[in-house]
Amino acid sequence: MTEAARPVADDPKAAVRARYEPVIGLEVHAQLKTESKIFCSCSTRFGAAANTQVCPVCLGLPGVLPVLNERAVRFAVMTGLAVGSSIRLRSVLARKNYFYPDLPKGYQISQYDRPLCEGGAIEILAEGERKRIGLVRIHLEEDAGKSLHPEGKEGVSTTRVDLNRAGVPLIEIVSEPDLRSGAEAYHYLTKLKQILVYLDVCDGNMEEGSLRCDANVSVRLRGAKEYGTKTEIKNLNSFRYVEKAIAYEIDRQIARIEGGERVVQETLLWDSARNVAETMRSKEEAHDYRYFPEPDLLPLDLTESWIEGIRESLPELPDALRERLVREQGIPEYDAEVLTETRSLATYYEEVAARSGQPKLASNWIMTEVNAVRNKTGQPIESFPIDAARLGDLVGMIAGEKISGKIAKTVFERMLEDPDGPAAIVQKHGLLPIDDEAALRTLAREVLAANPGPAAEFRAGKEKTFAFLVGQAMKQSRGRAHPEKLQAALRAVLAEEG
Amino acid sequence: MPIDVTTVRKIAALARLRVETSEEERMARELAAILTYVEQLQALDLEGIDPTSQVTEGAPPALRPDEARPCEVRDDALSAAPDRDGDYFRVPQVV
Amino acid sequence: MTPAPADWAEASAEQIAESVRGGKVSAEEVTRATLARADRTASRLATFLHRMPEEALASARGIDEGRSRGTTLGPLAGVPIALKDNICTRGIPTTCGSRILEGYHPPYDAHVVERLRAAGAVVVGKTNCDEFAMGSSTENSAYAPTRNPWDLARVPGGSSGGSAAAVAAREATLALGSDTGGSVRQPAAFCGVYGLKPTYGAVSRYGLVAFASSLDQIGPFARTARDTALLFNAICGRDPRDMTSRPEASPVRLEALEEGVKGLTIGIPRDILSGEGIAPAIRACFERAVAALTRSGASLRDVTLPHAKHAIATYYLVATAEASSNLARYDGVRYGLRAKDGNLTTMYEATRGAGFGREVKRRILLGTYALSAGYYDAYYLRAQKVRTLIRRDFSEALEKTDALLFPVTPTTAFGIGEKVDDPLSMYLNDIFSVPASLAGVPALSFPAGFDEAGLPIGLQLAGRPFQEETLLRVARAYEATDDAAARRPAIAKEGS
Repeated sequence: MTEAARPVADDPKAAVRARYEPVIGLEVHAQLKTESKIFCSCSTRFGAAANTQVCPVCLGLPGVLPVLNERAVRFAVMTGLAVGSSIRLRSVLARKNYFYPDLPKGYQISQYDRPLCEGGAIEILAEGERKRIGLVRIHLEEDAGKSLHPEGKEGVSTTRVDLNRAGVPLIEIVSEPDLRSGAEAYHYLTKLKQILVYLDVCDGNMEEGSLRCDANVSVRLRGAKEYGTKTEIKNLNSFRYVEKAIAYEIDRQIARIEGGERVVQETLLWDSARNVAETMRSKEEAHDYRYFPEPDLLPLDLTESWIEGIRESLPELPDALRERLVREQGIPEYDAEVLTETRSLATYYEEVAARSGQPKLASNWIMTEVNAVRNKTGQPIESFPIDAARLGDLVGMIAGEKISGKIAKTVFERMLEDPDGPAAIVQKHGLLPIDDEAALRTLAREVLAANPGPAAEFRAGKEKTFAFLVGQAMKQSRGRAHPEKLQAALRAVLAEEG
Repeated sequence: MPIDVTTVRKIAALARLRVETSEEERMARELAAILTYVEQLQALDLEGIDPTSQVTEGAPPALRPDEARPCEVRDDALSAAPDRDGDYFRVPQVV
Repeated sequence: MTPAPADWAEASAEQIAESVRGGKVSAEEVTRATLARADRTASRLATFLHRMPEEALASARGIDEGRSRGTTLGPLAGVPIALKDNICTRGIPTTCGSRILEGYHPPYDAHVVERLRAAGAVVVGKTNCDEFAMGSSTENSAYAPTRNPWDLARVPGGSSGGSAAAVAAREATLALGSDTGGSVRQPAAFCGVYGLKPTYGAVSRYGLVAFASSLDQIGPFARTARDTALLFNAICGRDPRDMTSRPEASPVRLEALEEGVKGLTIGIPRDILSGEGIAPAIRACFERAVAALTRSGASLRDVTLPHAKHAIATYYLVATAEASSNLARYDGVRYGLRAKDGNLTTMYEATRGAGFGREVKRRILLGTYALSAGYYDAYYLRAQKVRTLIRRDFSEALEKTDALLFPVTPTTAFGIGEKVDDPLSMYLNDIFSVPASLAGVPALSFPAGFDEAGLPIGLQLAGRPFQEETLLRVARAYEATDDAAARRPAIAKEGS
């Protein structure tokens, strides 16, 4: 079915929206997890008192020079290789000149026309479909310090500057304008973060600022070849805000065009309290950054063999890991997607699957029970109280019919507090299943004796009361009765006395 | 490319440099003379010539190993600050 | 060894170091003698922005104590040295001749300062210079113009005028300056001393306040070729804090300087000598020097530097572009001058407007323009391409020669105030010094003679990268035939 013939909802807004194609590109800045800053040996540790992780170099004192951090280059190359970029053997660092109080030198050392990585792509899962989002480039640059704008006394406003962050290494990842919705942007960011965390090059934490995102948004009529005018949205501090802000901006641009006005090329700030994007008041003039190659650093020359060495030492990446789990464990793609959220979760899963011999059951347990607890507590899998060995044993017990699924859930709860193995906990709390026929018949007789009315009704032909009787028996056995065997015993006893 | 007072003002703004009104004409004149002089480069045929990216040849220098070191600067980073607020540098706010 | 001089302020660095190491004289005595000379002449010449007599005597005593304890002393033990005020000295004012850094005390020492202290040199003060090293006369200093010791109504040259004058006036035995387009060589020529611009990358720039990053080099001033070598040796070599400093840089062998010029080929770039504007006295001196070197056994070869005529235009685009960026950090936020003004933007503008002098402003504006949108290709990029051609000219000329010989300046020292109102004419003084800076090759100015007015004439030797030794060897051979380097300005003879 062609775009034009797509059925249109009753909602008139949707009808209008359907005529337009949003075009979105994202620029993401990721702080690299190096020990020291990109051009000096100051620590990059988060949370130090203001202006204590600084030195003449990152303070921009007269006479200082930058010296490039090897690991920052390594992490940037790892990222480029992971997303299939081509790595330039000679790339150039360049000065981006502008004045701001948190930019000590009056220029930022970045990259301009010869970035370290070019091309590449990130694959996302959007509405059940796999989609390839192209990348333009990835380049290295230094972070600026922090400017804080509290109000001063007598309404005179000042800015306070902390330069601890100045010089922390960043990579800037620029996507092609291949995204088509706020939701796709959300998925892109999730996937990008996942890759960076897998590589252990970045924490990927938007709330703490180790991952930052600006969105470029435009719309055009479906079928049009030219791009519309784009706006840039800044101050997006979470993946959800990115999604919301993009959706907002798409609608705003459509409304303008429908209203006969042009979209103005401008920079907007997202206001997450009011859920609107506002024009930035200052910075009206377009910046002239006067880029030129950084003379203090010389071009960055890499060798093929160095890059190959990095390629060989890359960890298994999310897509490959996901595919491998599907292949080796025979679990569905959906499961593998969830279980590879982080490498540590995938490792956890593999251990549980191996220990229990139950790949699908292991997957279910992690996706439902384990993740339910983690969603509440926010714990990473590394600090989850039930390790893979214990969970593997539990899952094994279920598979071996040593306990029922229901009892297993109780055991699981206990295991969160009690470091003992599942078998020991079952013993301790008397949770062994009752599957002995004689015991079950005794139980059945007790239940029938305690419920003469329903027993009589059943014998009189009311099938529905059977479920009630089963429930009572389960209750009395505190869930330990083997469900199928209990039912068989109950039927037998009912038939006996019938 | 003639440089006039308007251009001087624009570049001065880019460079955050105040040029007194009384000095603007003179600056424009002097810059214009210099730029006229450098126009000679326009006549050269530079087809196929790469810009100089480094003056000395040789193996690229080693990159710095990633080790955090405490700062050797004995004085507090803010000691030379024209204005400070406790641990912070303080500046007037951007308009 | 030569007998002890009547005045240690006249002695060479080599003799001082040897004597201090050998216990023949104390470092303190040498320092006192030098301080006494500076006491007589420094305020008239305005050589120093900051004199350090107490610190110097303390250093000197430290060296003497070290000697008595049996510590091995360094190659510059007890030698008094002056440092240009754009070289960072911990806790000691470093103003770069500018108001914007008035009262600024760096919290760290430049690499070269660490090396000098390790070598046992005694720093006697920070010398005057053109503001941020921008100028050819030291008249652009925000503080005062330095005067040429040979004629106090004339400039000492620039931008390292204070350092050159201090050495010529015997206020220091050695000095360091910085050379971006001739700022060590030209004042050396105007003041009748040796001035070396090392190969780019031979000396670490860590702690040199940047003017033009791809051109700046710290360079020695001295009164003999051997002293120049000694000082170069004390500061050259790779420093991991400067990514542009090179491991290929290695010390000059002092013995090699005595080998003479037999077997060496000297290139004469006749094309750059053909223009008018070269003072007749300089031309004559040049020809005499050529003859002297030929007599000493050097062969000659004509070479050309066809793109050298574009060097000034190239330099004033590349250097000012880099400078406009390097000087952006002087914004009143973290150190230096801050002009109280309304908002952030006006604060920046007022600070930089008040803190920078006219020449610096001119160059910042020119450089900003050369990099700005729409002009980058036509100006900066184009200039960097012409620079490639100039570098090629030098490597081709030096393929079959060991060194090139040509003037340093078109004239001898001009009068104070004579050129301040015509920036372009001031820039054209650099016509012979700028090409070697753009090419990154080492270049040495050596005292070669005097003009009719008794003003010093310097000549220039340029060589292959990291061949400072060859240049000093040729200069040493010339020194043996001529006494230009041994003569003293009258002011240095007063009361001695």
